[in-house]
Amino acid sequence: MDVGRRISVIFSFVVIVILLTGSSYAIPAFSRQYGTSCTTCHIDFPKLNDFGKAFKDAGFKFPKGDEDFIKVPPIMLGAPAQKDMWPHVIYPGTIPGLPQIGLRYNQFFQYTSGNANNYYGSQVLPGSTPGSALPPTIPRTDFQAGYFSIFMAGNFGSDIAFWVDDDLSVSGANANGALGDGYLRFVNIGRFLKLPTDAFTVKVGQFELDLPFTQARSINISPYDIYTQANIGAANPANGLPSVNNQFSMQDGAQGIEFSGGHQYGGYHYSLAVVNQNTSGGAAAAPPNVDTPSAFFSDSNYKDVYGRFSYRFNLEKDPASRHDVQAAGATGPRDHTYLSLGTFFFKGRSVQRFSGLTGGGAAEVLTAREPFYRVGGDFSFNYRTFNLFGLYMYAHDQNVLLNSGFTGFGNGDPVKFNGGFLEADYLALPWVMAIMRYDHVQSTSDFLNGASSGNYYSPVGSSRDRVTPGVQFLIHANIKTSFEYQFRPRQALAYDQNGKPLNSFRTNTATGALEFVY
Amino acid sequence: MKRTLISMMMVGTVVMMLSLAASAGTISGKVSGVSGESVVYVEAVAGKTFPAPTAKPVIDQKGLMFQPHIVVVEQGTTVEFLNSDKVAHNVFWPSVGGNKKLTHNLGTWPQGEKRPFKFDNAGAVPLLCNVHPEMAGYIVVSPTPYFALTDKSGEYKIENVPDGSYTVVAWHEGAKNQSKPVSVAGDSKADFTLSK
Ligand SMILES: [Cu+2]
Repeated sequence: MDVGRRISVIFSFVVIVILLTGSSYAIPAFSRQYGTSCTTCHIDFPKLNDFGKAFKDAGFKFPKGDEDFIKVPPIMLGAPAQKDMWPHVIYPGTIPGLPQIGLRYNQFFQYTSGNANNYYGSQVLPGSTPGSALPPTIPRTDFQAGYFSIFMAGNFGSDIAFWVDDDLSVSGANANGALGDGYLRFVNIGRFLKLPTDAFTVKVGQFELDLPFTQARSINISPYDIYTQANIGAANPANGLPSVNNQFSMQDGAQGIEFSGGHQYGGYHYSLAVVNQNTSGGAAAAPPNVDTPSAFFSDSNYKDVYGRFSYRFNLEKDPASRHDVQAAGATGPRDHTYLSLGTFFFKGRSVQRFSGLTGGGAAEVLTAREPFYRVGGDFSFNYRTFNLFGLYMYAHDQNVLLNSGFTGFGNGDPVKFNGGFLEADYLALPWVMAIMRYDHVQSTSDFLNGASSGNYYSPVGSSRDRVTPGVQFLIHANIKTSFEYQFRPRQALAYDQNGKPLNSFRTNTATGALEFVY
Repeated sequence: MKRTLISMMMVGTVVMMLSLAASAGTISGKVSGVSGESVVYVEAVAGKTFPAPTAKPVIDQKGLMFQPHIVVVEQGTTVEFLNSDKVAHNVFWPSVGGNKKLTHNLGTWPQGEKRPFKFDNAGAVPLLCNVHPEMAGYIVVSPTPYFALTDKSGEYKIENVPDGSYTVVAWHEGAKNQSKPVSVAGDSKADFTLSK
């Protein structure tokens, strides 16, 4: 890796930390619609309590007797009696009485260990060349304007829920925004097939995969390392053969359709999504004779598949309390004591293009679609306001290589990584959340590359770990200040003959965030 | 025979009460300086006790609200808390008449059911729900049976107050209580101006 690349890696880590911290939501529009506080659905927004999970499952409605609670009456797009006239009329729906708009702004302050600059010191080792357009320093402190986001969500009647969120200010001042999730969700359409309530729901659009623990709506400032890990393999130094180049990471927004059922507040839950193939490796040119909305998003008929199944055991003795949305506590309803176990699986193909030859010897671009999968398990245990949860994931990419005649493909060694996280959240007071988190990623490719995603460099080891304690305070139910400190092991880019690190450094980082929603 | 005797005694009691009422007056007036309903009640009268009330007013939790928002009861009254909502609530109060030792939590109960509580201490009881922090209601426990809830403009009238000298208190949500001496002889007046 040359110096310029190294610097761009370290620069991009700062940018990545900022970019990845930006997406968490609570929906003030629902506060307005129901005349209720954020805490009806959230513990330390955007983390959902059991009631919030049931509200979301039901298509952004109160799970029972929704109309009793709406303070701003919806606008009828047709009298309910029109239902009897269908199909001679448009089936009557509703729109929320107020535009369901919520807004969110957050900003960050960051402090990085000073000796992170030893990183640059190491570059002046024999074999390295200093000098670059970038000044050779990481500022120890930095203020960052974060995100200004708009999000809209609600229900159009007939149990059709909608969600659109967009980061208006993503990638700096006056830049174009980026769509987060945008979808329609047809809740409980299993009712037409006489299936049990909520056994079958369909979501269409762009959405975060049904991850065991959400990244887009996480309370943490920094994302889970395993969710951001892409599988970018290093070329084999012995023969220069290319490796995998799979940009896919679990936190990516997916475009497609998702079937799901069950409840997040107890019992089973499943989802099965069919989504576009990741084409970060290069999309094909739009065909000239086919009309498309704006070229094709994907370049492949083959779609990726994500599936998840989980079961949550609520542990209250009293059956009525156990099966209800919330447990009946002695001093008020509260979240269940529960143990949830789950598993997830992603199967896809990643695109790589190579300069190859036709059978006749003419130059040809050959497209490899490397099969890959991610598989993992997760658990979550909750007692009162203490929640311990974790996830382990194994990743496997088939490395497809050009054959010796450059006319086709054979298989190289698969490229793998694994890792996960363990997190404990404790709501010490209704407005104070204490967090302890451990992240681990083990990737041979990172080791071979000498660098990796995130701010850990792996020239001598293939695993990166961090411990991230955090604390968050709700100033009001809609204003939050969050702090976290990322402890990372000592790192070095070079070692002497005895294996002693030269110019070792840490990239421990303290981050503070201030955000509000309204 | 026994039944007839009881009826006669009851008639006698009613006649006695009516004759007492004949020597009683009213307190009326207006609470200003605040908007919405206020409560006006006669402070405890030294050496005088009142029979325990038997009526059980109901406070409902409906649409994430306590309904009605303000209820006045006489000391010793049992109030029944109903949950009409399809969501779980609880009812608790941090204090009674400012005394934090009298805090109490009634817990959670299913839709359609009631939970009673007898209020033996006088003073304002702020009702809260700890899962819906925006929910608020008040019970004002009057030490005497002489109390009134004002209308929205602040007008009130307390009837059947025996002639005599009293301390009358005006209460309003979020405002400081105001008390003033009032002599009742027939129809008397007492106006209050409260401030937050
Ligand atoms: Cu409540």
